[in-house]
Amino acid sequence: MKIERGKLIETLKELKGKGYKYLVKIAGVDNINSISVLYFVRDIDNNKEEVVEVELDPNDTALPSVEEVYKAADWYERTLYEMFGIEIKGRQIRRLLLEKWNGKGAPLRKNFEWGAPYETKQSKKAVA
Amino acid sequence: MTTKINIGPIHPSTHGVLRLVVELDGDTIVGVEPHIGFLHRGVEKLAENRMYMQNIGYMEKIDYVAPMAYDDAYVAAVEEAMGVEVKERAKYIRTILLELQRIASHLLWLGTMANDLGQFYTLFMWTFRDRDKILRLLQEHAGARMFYLNMRPGGVVRDLPPDFEENTLQVLDYIEKRITEYEHYLESNQVFIERTKGIGVLSREMAIELGATGPVLRGSGVNYDTRSNKPYYAYSELGFRPQVMFAGDSFARYKVRMLEMKESIRMVREAFKKIPEGDAVGMPVRLIMPQAKNKIVTVNRETPRGEAFIYMIADKERPYRLSIRTPSFINLSLINEIAKGSRLADLFAILGSLDLVMADVDL
Amino acid sequence: MLTFSISAIANWLVSLLSSASVVKQAEGLAAYAIGVAILIMAFAYFLGWLERKIIAKVQARHGPTVVGKYGLLQNLADFMKLLAKSNFFPKSSDKLLFAVALPAMLALSIFLILLLPLAPSTGIGNMTNGLLIVFALFAFMPLLIFINGIASGNKFGEISAQRSVIMIMSYEIPMLIVIASIGMLAHSYDLVNIVESQAHIWYIFLMPLGFFVFFVAMLAELERSPFDLREADSELIAGWLTDVSAPYYTLALFLDYTKMFLGSLIVVILFFGGWSGYGLLPVFWLVVKALIFAIFVMLLRATAVRMKLDRLLRFGWLALMPLALINLIVAYLLFVM
Repeated sequence: MKIERGKLIETLKELKGKGYKYLVKIAGVDNINSISVLYFVRDIDNNKEEVVEVELDPNDTALPSVEEVYKAADWYERTLYEMFGIEIKGRQIRRLLLEKWNGKGAPLRKNFEWGAPYETKQSKKAVA
Repeated sequence: MTTKINIGPIHPSTHGVLRLVVELDGDTIVGVEPHIGFLHRGVEKLAENRMYMQNIGYMEKIDYVAPMAYDDAYVAAVEEAMGVEVKERAKYIRTILLELQRIASHLLWLGTMANDLGQFYTLFMWTFRDRDKILRLLQEHAGARMFYLNMRPGGVVRDLPPDFEENTLQVLDYIEKRITEYEHYLESNQVFIERTKGIGVLSREMAIELGATGPVLRGSGVNYDTRSNKPYYAYSELGFRPQVMFAGDSFARYKVRMLEMKESIRMVREAFKKIPEGDAVGMPVRLIMPQAKNKIVTVNRETPRGEAFIYMIADKERPYRLSIRTPSFINLSLINEIAKGSRLADLFAILGSLDLVMADVDL
Repeated sequence: MLTFSISAIANWLVSLLSSASVVKQAEGLAAYAIGVAILIMAFAYFLGWLERKIIAKVQARHGPTVVGKYGLLQNLADFMKLLAKSNFFPKSSDKLLFAVALPAMLALSIFLILLLPLAPSTGIGNMTNGLLIVFALFAFMPLLIFINGIASGNKFGEISAQRSVIMIMSYEIPMLIVIASIGMLAHSYDLVNIVESQAHIWYIFLMPLGFFVFFVAMLAELERSPFDLREADSELIAGWLTDVSAPYYTLALFLDYTKMFLGSLIVVILFFGGWSGYGLLPVFWLVVKALIFAIFVMLLRATAVRMKLDRLLRFGWLALMPLALINLIVAYLLFVM
C-alpha cells in the first residue's frame, strides 16, 4: 500500500495492532524522480505479509523514525541514512556500514559519482 | 562508574572483523555497541551495474560459509523475474544440495562455538574434517569446494554424477554418528552446560520485536521457518518440520542447530528415495538476457543462518535495484539486548551461539 | 636458642665458611645443581615436543614432523627464532620488574625441582621438613605473577594478573590441607621418608579423595586447562603475557613446561610412590611415572572446556575445601589407628 509520509507512523501502528509485529526489511529504491522507502512487515502467527510504501521527493527526504513502533528498524534506518541520504527525524542517527566516510553523496543513489575524488590526507597533499 | 573497553577488529577469536565497544560496570556488561562495515563490499550497488549472470559471483561471496544458499536465492529471483519454472528433478536436486550445505555450515558453527568456549581447537578440527567430506561431495557435482556457481534459471548446471547417491548416503551415515558423538561429548560436560544454559536469554516477545531470524528466533520459541511457512522446492513433499526450543538461551540455540542437522540428514535420505527422473539442467549462460516478465520480485529463502530476503526490481539486462536482507545483520543487532546483564566472559559465548558471519553482516 | 646477637651470627658464618668439609659439600652441591638443572631443561623441552604431538594426534593431525626426526627440533627452531627477535619494553611498563619477573619464575621452578629427592640418595640430603619447604617456596609463584602484571603497565595486564593470583591462592589452600594429611600418613614431612613409606602401598590407594583434590588443585596452580584463564582470548583481551617481547616469551613457554614437570614430580612423589619400582634405576621410574601423569594433563588440555572465573572460585572454596577437610579427617583416623 502506498501512503504519505505524514501517515507513516499511524499506519505502522495500526498494522502492528492487527498483528504484524515483525519487521522484515526497510528498503530504499531510487527511481530517478522520486525515492521510495518500503517497509516490509509480517504477521508471524498467521503467516501474512504486507508492504508499506512511502514516496519521497529526492530533494526533501526526511522521514520520521519508526523505531518506537518496531525496534528492529534501528539498523535499517541507519543504512537508509548513509546509503540514500534520507534524514531520519526523531533520534540520533549514526552511520553504520561506512563509518569514516569522507566522500560526498549517498552511495546507493543513481546520481552517485563513481570515481569522484575521495579525499584523503595524501590526495589533499597531491592536489596542493 | 562504567568503563568502556574496545574489543578491536583484530582479535584471536575466530569471528572475523567485528569491533565491539563494551560498556562495563565492574564485570557486568551494561551495553554493547557493534561497529561493523570492515567487510562492506557494496554488493547492492555493484549488482546494479552487472548483468544478471555476472551477479551470481557477488552473491555467493556474501556468505562464505554456505555460498549455495545465496546463489540459490538470487537465481530464484531471476527465475521469477523471467517467468521460468524450475524443473521437477531440479527441485529435488536443489533441495538435496541446500540441505547438504546446511549440514556443512552447522558443522563449522559447532567448531567455532566450541572454540569460543575455551575448547582448545579439538572439536574445531574434528568438525572441519567432517565438513570436508561434504565439500568433497559437492565438488563432484559442481566442480568447486566453496564457490559453486551451480545454479541456473530453471535448474542446475549439470545433473548429479552417477555415484552421487551412494557416496552421499555413506557420508551421511558417518556424519550422523559423529553428530551424536559431539552432542554426547558436549552435553555431558558440566562446564559446557553451565556456560550456555541461562546465558544470553532472549524472550519470545523481544525476539519478534527485534527482528531475530533463523535458529535464534526458533530457539526463543517462535515456530517460524521459511521452509515450512513459505515452502519452496521439495520441502513440503519431504515433510519438513521446524525445530523449536523454548528457553531462549545459548543452549537452546545450540540445540536447535543440532536438531536441524539431524532433520537435514533425514530429508536428504528421503529425497533420494523420492527424486523423479528427468532433465535437470537449467538454461545455459548465454541465453540469459531476460526480458523481464515480472518486474518486482520478492524471494524468501532459509539460509543456515536465518532468513534471507531479496527484493529485486528487474530491468532488461541488469537488476535495477537488488535489496538483500541478510540474517546475520539483524542477528548482530540483538547483541545489545541479549548481552545486558551478563559477564564479560559470556560475551563471546553468546556471539558464538548467534552464528555470525561478518561478510553476511556487512553485505 | 631464644637470644642471639649479631656477633654470634657472624662467628657462626665465619666458622661455616672456613670449615673444609662444608666447602667440599658446597662444591658437590653446585655440581649436582647445575647438572640436574640442565637435565630439567632438556626434559622440559621434551615435554614441549610431547605436548604438541599429543594434542595434534587427538585433533586428527600430525603435529611437527619436518624439523628433525619426528619434529623433535621444532621447539628448538621456535626458540631460536624468538630469541633472534628484538627486545623492547612497552613505554608504560616498569622495565626493571619486567626484566626480572619472568626469569625469577623460571629460576624458582627449577630450584624447586632441585629440592625434590630424585633418587634414594641425592646431593641435598634429607631435609626434615622438605615438604613444607617446597610448598612454602611454591607460594612465591602468585607474588611473581602479580609482579608481572604490575610490570606490564596496562590495566588489562593488571586485571588478568589479579585473576590468576586469586585463582592460584584459592586453590592452594586445599592443596596444603592435603599435604598435611600426607604428613600424617607418613608420620613425617621429609620427602625421602614419604617416598619410602609408600613401599608397601601407594598413598593414592589409601587416600583417593586426597589425590583427586590435590590433582585438581595442582592443575589450577599450573594454570593448565580447564583453568587456563591467562591464555583465554575472550576472558580478557590482553593478559599479562601479551606485552612481553619475544625473548622473554621463550622464558614464558619454557616456564609452562617446567612447572608442569614440577607438578608431575610432586604428585608422583606424594601419591604414586616416587621412585619405587622393580629392576631399573629409581630415577628412571620417577621420570616415567611423572611422564605418564604429564601426558594425562596434556590430554586434558586438548579436551576440556574452559571454566569461568566465578565458577572456578566457587568450586575451589565450596567443593574442594570440604573434600580436603574430609580427607584430613580420614587421614587422622588412619594416623591414630
